[in-house]
Amino acid sequence: MSEQLRLLPGYLSAHLALSLAALFVAALIAIPLGIAVHRRRALEPPLLGAASAIQTIPGLALLAVMVPLFAAIGARGIGAWPALVALTLYGLLPILRNTVTGLAGIDPALREAARGVGMTPREELWRVELPLALPVIVGGVRTSAVWVVGTATLATPIGATSLGNYIFSGLATRNNAAVLVGCVAAATLALGLDQLIRLLEAGIRARRRSWWITAVALLGALALYAAASAGLRASGPARAIAIGAKPFTEQYVLAEVLAQQIAARTGAATHSLPSLGSTVAFDALAAGDLDVYVDYSGTIWATIMHRDTASVQRDQLLAEVEKYLVEQRGITVAGALGFENSYALAMRADRARELGVSRIGELARRAPELEIGGDYEFFARAEWRALVAAYGLAFRAQRAMDPSLMYGALRERQVDVISAYSTDGRIAADALVVLDDDRRVIPPYDAIVLASARLARERPEALAALRELAGTIDAAAMRRMNAAVDAEGRSPSDVAREFLARPASAARSPRS
Amino acid sequence: MIELRSLTRRYAERVAVDDLSLSIESGELLVLVGGSGSGKTTTLRLVNRLIEPTSGSVWIDGADTRAEAAPLLRRRIGYCFQQVGLFPHMTVGENVAITPTLLGWSAAQITARVDELLGLVALDPSAYRDRRPSALSGGEAQRVGLARALAARPLLMLLDEPFGALDPLTRENLQQEFASIRRELGLTAIFVTHDMAEALLLGDRIAVLHTGRLVQVGTPAELLRAPADERVAQLLRTPRRQAEALDALLGRRSDS
Repeated sequence: MSEQLRLLPGYLSAHLALSLAALFVAALIAIPLGIAVHRRRALEPPLLGAASAIQTIPGLALLAVMVPLFAAIGARGIGAWPALVALTLYGLLPILRNTVTGLAGIDPALREAARGVGMTPREELWRVELPLALPVIVGGVRTSAVWVVGTATLATPIGATSLGNYIFSGLATRNNAAVLVGCVAAATLALGLDQLIRLLEAGIRARRRSWWITAVALLGALALYAAASAGLRASGPARAIAIGAKPFTEQYVLAEVLAQQIAARTGAATHSLPSLGSTVAFDALAAGDLDVYVDYSGTIWATIMHRDTASVQRDQLLAEVEKYLVEQRGITVAGALGFENSYALAMRADRARELGVSRIGELARRAPELEIGGDYEFFARAEWRALVAAYGLAFRAQRAMDPSLMYGALRERQVDVISAYSTDGRIAADALVVLDDDRRVIPPYDAIVLASARLARERPEALAALRELAGTIDAAAMRRMNAAVDAEGRSPSDVAREFLARPASAARSPRS
Repeated sequence: MIELRSLTRRYAERVAVDDLSLSIESGELLVLVGGSGSGKTTTLRLVNRLIEPTSGSVWIDGADTRAEAAPLLRRRIGYCFQQVGLFPHMTVGENVAITPTLLGWSAAQITARVDELLGLVALDPSAYRDRRPSALSGGEAQRVGLARALAARPLLMLLDEPFGALDPLTRENLQQEFASIRRELGLTAIFVTHDMAEALLLGDRIAVLHTGRLVQVGTPAELLRAPADERVAQLLRTPRRQAEALDALLGRRSDS
């Protein structure tokens, strides 16, 4: 818990800066738009319709879609800017709707009076309409504040630091303390912000100068704190090396291994972007927003190169992937770590015995009476289509779920088969059997360290340090490290430190 | 002097005010009467340009009111209406001060003027200045409304059934007080009402409108003596008819 709390100032200030900025910009856009809608009712259907449509997009999707959009206009696709734009869009509707409602709810007699005493339209707006609509508008800002603070936790997968870092990594590594800290901090922040804005509004309405000055001062202090810590990060050591991780245990451990290796060999500062979406990480690396992360040869082969998975030898596939990355994408492969983490179909050992299944070919016959669980991407991936085509798999039901929940579902017999990862520590821990891919449909998944063109060009010493890791981790070692985090509750950084401290890292050449 | 020259206001379906010409002398109070839909409220709102005429014009002291921006014109014309429309987020004092504030008077001038006006409408300034409109009775609110309309020493007052929503006792009180304030300040005013008794009591002259057209204009005595048509005659007889009916009713009671 104390280790989690140590991360709090950084995550909290980033979360706060992002939320406050998004809320401020949203209000700056939505209130004038609301006034315009009020003046010209013809604008109401298109503008409110657009804001509502944005609102119906799930927060995670809206954030994710910013990455290619930003990349398309040549801007940095991951980090705080795309998150800010997405959150601003997300925060528009409540403020816009309440501004329109608040202005429409004003007694027509007061408009008549305002015009009758000689106010210009502008004076009427500032002296009568806005003050009277203020409570309703502020209500919209408060709703928006709660939404934005909540949704900002989803900025983590697109590379913007937020309290979501706790939640994503905590869920993936079964660290409930981290999840708890993240949720409590986000909820506290949302409620605190809501109450501050309420105090501000009550102060203005009751003309209690002391109230609203207190609220403004507190909001200002929060903004200043957030901006200052963001500024500190930006002005830190000359462009730290950015290391990415996808949201599962192995990736957190490997990101720590890479970071500690670079730090130990070159002393260069590193900066981690944990819990990135799968394609977000690759796109960010290709765009140079990310410097290093670990991906898997089969993933690049199938989802990036769109090649079919028909039996290709492990070494041949690795060579082709490497060639493609260098020639087509300018990405350097700093080496294969020495293990494969492939998709594998796994079952409880007792269930497999009961059904008499040990190979996927045998599973196919029993599939119509069974249910399968997979991670979010599995059923959309080329490997799944290839499995279905090769073995004629047709399950009674297929359920996509969070990888961390998938194993629990199998343990509790809610599904019969899952798409496991071959290095997952839970395969051994839960006494699962991995079904033999007898027709060699699933391609090889060598873990490979990918480095951006920029890193290769500007930090050759870091690249050299990474190359030293080639062939140093075999499947057993990776499984042990994953289990240390998942089952023993140790932190990825501890596990990585222990691994690097081993004499000569038990150097081993990759199997061939 | 106020001149309405051939004022016409047309809507898609109907003509609300039809070629209306009238003039009001300085210091005079002209009452507009007529049934609903006769165009009296529209006429009033055409004068301070809350509604723009389809054709025709309004002249104040020889100047065309179209020559200046409507909000500026309205600052020189007091406007009082039945719903009052006091701003609920301002105090009574701030409501009264609104037009002088828009005109950029100094704070000292405004404070003095607010107290003077509250006194004029018989509200103790120290007790009422800082109240919120929500804490006022209907009669008090209309007094504040009147004070607000008078605040910037207008050339002309427009009153649209200002006492229409008040209870009879309060209404009578306010009518009398308004009559005396008017005399004291020498106000020029156009007053809309559908209450003939009020019209006869307050008006120097009465203009009778029907379907947007002027039927007759004259002093109460002139109208009583020579009504232009049966409708005017009927209208003028209403207060007397009501009084006689009441007399009869009360007389029978006291006889028995």
